[in-house]
Amino acid sequence: SAQNGLRSLRPPRSRRPRRNLIKEGRKRDTGHRTAPLRLLLQATNSGDSTTSPPSSPPSPTTAMSRRGDWVYENNGGTCVAIAGADYCVVAADTRLSVGYNILTREHSKICELADKCVIASSGFQGDIKALQKNLAARELLYQHQHNKRMSCPAMAQLLSNTLYYKRFFPYYAFNVLGGLDSEGKGCVYSYDAVGSYERTGYSAQGSGSTLIMPVLDNQLKSPSPLLVPARDAVTPLSESEAVDLVKDVFASATERDIYTVCFPLSVPRDHRLLLFIHLPLY
Amino acid sequence: MTKDGVVLAVEKRVTSPLLEPSSVEKIMEIDEHVGCAMSGLIADARTLVEHARVETQNHRFSYGEPMTVESTTQAICDLALRFGEGDEESMSRPFGVSLLIAGHDENGPSLYYTDPSGTFWQCNAKAIGSGSEGADSSLQDQYNKELTIAEAETIALSILKQVMEEKVTPNNVDIAKVSPSYHLYTPAEVEAVIARL
Repeated sequence: SAQNGLRSLRPPRSRRPRRNLIKEGRKRDTGHRTAPLRLLLQATNSGDSTTSPPSSPPSPTTAMSRRGDWVYENNGGTCVAIAGADYCVVAADTRLSVGYNILTREHSKICELADKCVIASSGFQGDIKALQKNLAARELLYQHQHNKRMSCPAMAQLLSNTLYYKRFFPYYAFNVLGGLDSEGKGCVYSYDAVGSYERTGYSAQGSGSTLIMPVLDNQLKSPSPLLVPARDAVTPLSESEAVDLVKDVFASATERDIYTVCFPLSVPRDHRLLLFIHLPLY
Repeated sequence: MTKDGVVLAVEKRVTSPLLEPSSVEKIMEIDEHVGCAMSGLIADARTLVEHARVETQNHRFSYGEPMTVESTTQAICDLALRFGEGDEESMSRPFGVSLLIAGHDENGPSLYYTDPSGTFWQCNAKAIGSGSEGADSSLQDQYNKELTIAEAETIALSILKQVMEEKVTPNNVDIAKVSPSYHLYTPAEVEAVIARL
C-alpha cells in the first residue's frame, strides 16, 4: 500500500539521530526572552514597519524563536507636533492599518492627558492604548495628591520613566508629547521606544516621520540644542501658519507613505481650552 | 513667614558645657526648597525627615519638578498617622514630635505646623516646644505680613530670648531661612543677628 511505500522511504527509527529535548528546550527559552526586544530594536533601526520577524541565517536560537513569539504589530500612522511662543500644535493622522490592510480610517492617536498636555503616539495600538490609559490614570492620582494638574514637563518625565520601566519588554509606541510649560510657552517632547527624551521645537514620529522631519527642519530651522547659552527652540510662526504647515506636511507624507492619510482629523492646540478641528476624511 | 521667605529659629538646649553644640541638629534640610525645625523626641523626628527627603527626591525623579511644600507636609503626616511604613517597620506608638516645615514653592513661601496626630496646619507664624505658649502670644503681637527677612530674624530671636533661660549665643541657637532656597546660618551670621537685638 501507499502507506507502506512511504514508510519505507524513512530510515528505521533506531538510525535517526536522537533529539536532545532538554537542550532544545533551553535554547528555545533564550530565544523567547530576547526576541521581542531584539526584533523591536531592529524594527526601529530600519525605520520601517516590519510585521514579521526578519529572516536571518538559520541558527538554533532564531529558528526556535520564530515559533510565534512576535508579540508586536505596527499599526502605522504619523504624529507631528510644533511648539510656538504661546501655543502648541499636535497632529496625528487617523488611519489604523495592519500590513497592507486598513482597519479603520477614523482612529485618533491623540490623548489629552492634562489641560496643558497632549500626547500623540504611533506604533502598536495595543501598547499605545495601555500606555495612554496608564498616563491618564497617573495624572488623575497626581491631581488628587497635589491639588493641581500635571504640567507638561512633569508629564514628560513621567512618560520617560514609564517607558524605561519596561526596558526589557518595551511599549511599541513612538510618542510625541506637546503642550504648554509653566511659563505658557509651547513645548514639544520627542521620545524613542524606551524613554529617551528631549525637549525640542518640533517633532515627527511614526511611519511618515522620515518624510516629514526634513521638511520641518527646512521650514522651522531650530537652533542646535548644543548651543551655549541655550536658545529658545520655539518657532516664531503664528498659530495659523503652524497649522497650515502641519497640514502641508501631512499632505506631503501621504503622497509616499501608505500608512499615513491626508487631512489629519484631530489637531488639538491651545492655551485656553482644547479644540479638535474635524476636517473631511480623504 | 514673610513675603520673601520663611525664617526658622530654634533653641538648642545645650545641657552641659562638654556637649558639642554643632552636634545638636534641630533644624534640618528636606530638599533645596524645604527645611524643617523639630521639637520633641528628636530621634523620631529624624525618621520623619528622612522619609520626607526620600519622598521629595522620588517626586523629582518621577516628575522632574520640586514637590510642593503642602505635599511634602502631607507625606510626613501620612507617615505620622500610620506610625511608620508598612507592616514590619511600623512602630507601636505615635511619633512624639512636632515639626515646623518651612518652604518655598510656586505658591510662594509657606509654613506648616504638624503634630503627632498627623494633622497639619498652615501658619503665618508659630512657636512650638516648651515655651511655646508665651512665644505664640508674643508672635501674635509682633507679627505682621509686611515683615522683611531681617525683621523676621530679629523678632524670632528676641522671642527666643524671652523664653530661654540662658543667654542667647551663637552656640545655643540655630537659625535657618528658606528664601527661596534653604540656608542654615553659620555661627558668624547668627552673631550678626544677635548683635541687632
